[in-house]
Amino acid sequence: MKKLIVAMTMGLGLLSSTALAQSAWTGGDDQPTSPLACDATPAVAVAKPYDGGEPAGAPDRAGKKITVVDVPKLIGIGYFNATTKGILDAAAELGNVDAKTDGPTKANIDEQITFLDNYITSGVDGILFAANDPVAIAPVLKKALSKGINVVGYDANSTPDARQWFVNQAEFNGIAKSLVDNLAKEIGEDGAFAIVTSTFTTPNQARWIAEMGAYAANCHPKMKWLETVEAQEDNTLSFNQATTLINKYGDELKGIVGMTSVATPASAEAVTQAKLCGKVAVVGLATPNAMKPYVKADCVKSVVLWNPVDLGYAAMHVLRAVADGTLKAGATSVKAGKLGDLQVINGSEILLGAPYTFTKENIDGFDF
Amino acid sequence: MSRLLKHESILAILTVLALAILAMQSDKFFTTDNLLNQGRLMSEVGLVALAMTFVIVTGGIDLSVGSILGLTAILLGVFWKNVGLPLPVAIGLAVACGSLAGFVNGLIITRFRVPPLIATLATLALYRGLAEGISEARSVRGYPEWFFFLGQGDILGIPVQLCLLVIAAITAGVILARTPFGRATYAIGANETAAHFSGIRVNATKLWIYTAAGFLASIAAVIFVSRVTTTRSDMGTGLELDVITGVVLGGTSIFGGKGTIIGTALGLILIQALKNGLSLSGVKGDGTIVVIGVVLIVAILASAIFDRNKGG
Repeated sequence: MKKLIVAMTMGLGLLSSTALAQSAWTGGDDQPTSPLACDATPAVAVAKPYDGGEPAGAPDRAGKKITVVDVPKLIGIGYFNATTKGILDAAAELGNVDAKTDGPTKANIDEQITFLDNYITSGVDGILFAANDPVAIAPVLKKALSKGINVVGYDANSTPDARQWFVNQAEFNGIAKSLVDNLAKEIGEDGAFAIVTSTFTTPNQARWIAEMGAYAANCHPKMKWLETVEAQEDNTLSFNQATTLINKYGDELKGIVGMTSVATPASAEAVTQAKLCGKVAVVGLATPNAMKPYVKADCVKSVVLWNPVDLGYAAMHVLRAVADGTLKAGATSVKAGKLGDLQVINGSEILLGAPYTFTKENIDGFDF
Repeated sequence: MSRLLKHESILAILTVLALAILAMQSDKFFTTDNLLNQGRLMSEVGLVALAMTFVIVTGGIDLSVGSILGLTAILLGVFWKNVGLPLPVAIGLAVACGSLAGFVNGLIITRFRVPPLIATLATLALYRGLAEGISEARSVRGYPEWFFFLGQGDILGIPVQLCLLVIAAITAGVILARTPFGRATYAIGANETAAHFSGIRVNATKLWIYTAAGFLASIAAVIFVSRVTTTRSDMGTGLELDVITGVVLGGTSIFGGKGTIIGTALGLILIQALKNGLSLSGVKGDGTIVVIGVVLIVAILASAIFDRNKGG
């Protein structure tokens, strides 16, 4: 028996050693990056052929009333409340769309798949989604396409052939540039920073981090990346992770980058409670409402985001255009109600616009 | 035996009632397509619930099944992609590791006399931590096409994993109800000391049962990976709660000594039907959770009332 126990302990030890076989995790994915220029030169748009999926045998929905379900990463956080508002606003404006939002209460891909599956069975006409995992969500979305349902993604993409279009809030490299530039302004060219992100496969966060790494290597090579921690869009966990980072690196840590709208206010709270406002910079993506107290207290100088209400609004308009047949593969732009014409980039992605930086001067003008 | 059947009969009536009401609420509920699909979705929870029935009948509990599922999924990816083994070998090895994890659970509970709740609570964190550490935040993708047959394919129109589940359920049912091993399980749950002094090999039986829980959790992991075509270290989070709900709803007493596979099967069917049917009728996610909680309480109360009424 003793020999068995010893053998098993060694076996477990061996198993864990496979962990050492992999390189340090930055939180980025391993797809190719395309960093922007260090100054304000805009990126050159590269034309790519359409690579989205097609529904099989979709009925003619032009002008008819359609039922649409929106399944975000999770429900109950300010960011997705804002996108829902945008979706419902667009639905009310269009008049012939019956839209509702339903989703898991934690950012869990298993549950999100079950929600989607049930709605496919109940026979919706259109699905809007923000994926928790781009590959895991693909089979169920392909199933939706095969049943003739129109599928459009926003905020977090799936693999391109599992949906028809994806509304991208901002170019990945644009967000990366905004975040890193704002960070460099506050912590200096040779400051050290840490990143608090969502889960490791969340597609948008992974892309942003990869692009941030590439951009920083080009334009701010002396800035030091310390660590990336995972906080799963959970408020308490984000706060704990940020506090741990502050305690672990002490004086060396000059800045924290929050990659989710939950991580940034939680990191700001951690810095405030550690009485390090002004000594540790907090830069990140967050809704203005969540950050107003910290920006007013001068703890946080800038918040980067786009307008999630507009994001939901655009996604709904794109879905309606797809269902009506006015937006086809190979189009170069689409009209999205009050937002005007939106460009098509990367084959089947629709760009919402450039990222926006909220500061003490302008943050009061927004309410989401 | 006739006492046990009381709870199962109430549950059967409740299930039929629920199915009827849900079928009336939505015409998409009672289609073959939907029912087979639900069978496919409940296979992972179902397989683990079969083993969990044995565990809870012995008076123990296993909270780490979700973490074993996550760990096996990650190991499958690591063995296949990082270590470079051929996929069938990687699958076999991952399942072996999952069973080993279950065996370790059993070892801690029998040799070191740690209460199952504490032991499996600790291994829940341990295995999940191992999964996250080993995966180092990478998910493994790009499995060959034939692998997806397990999680997404059909045999004669019936989902593959559902066939597996039915075979496993029949096997488990026969073992629990008709073999000396099954009777030993009930004896341990009813009175462990008496079972020990009656000559039943209590420790060996428990070791087998916890290893089986690990084994079935790892099979469920393979099916799950095949179904979603990727591996993630947070797979199976919360699985143990779904499994235990199904088993307890099925009439297995949490104190041990009572429970049948038929009851567990009915419990699982009822929960899956509710989750699916309510969603099809337009009830949102949070409403469904409330209904399942209410049904669980009602079922437990009903069987508790009947228990009190029996003589002696």
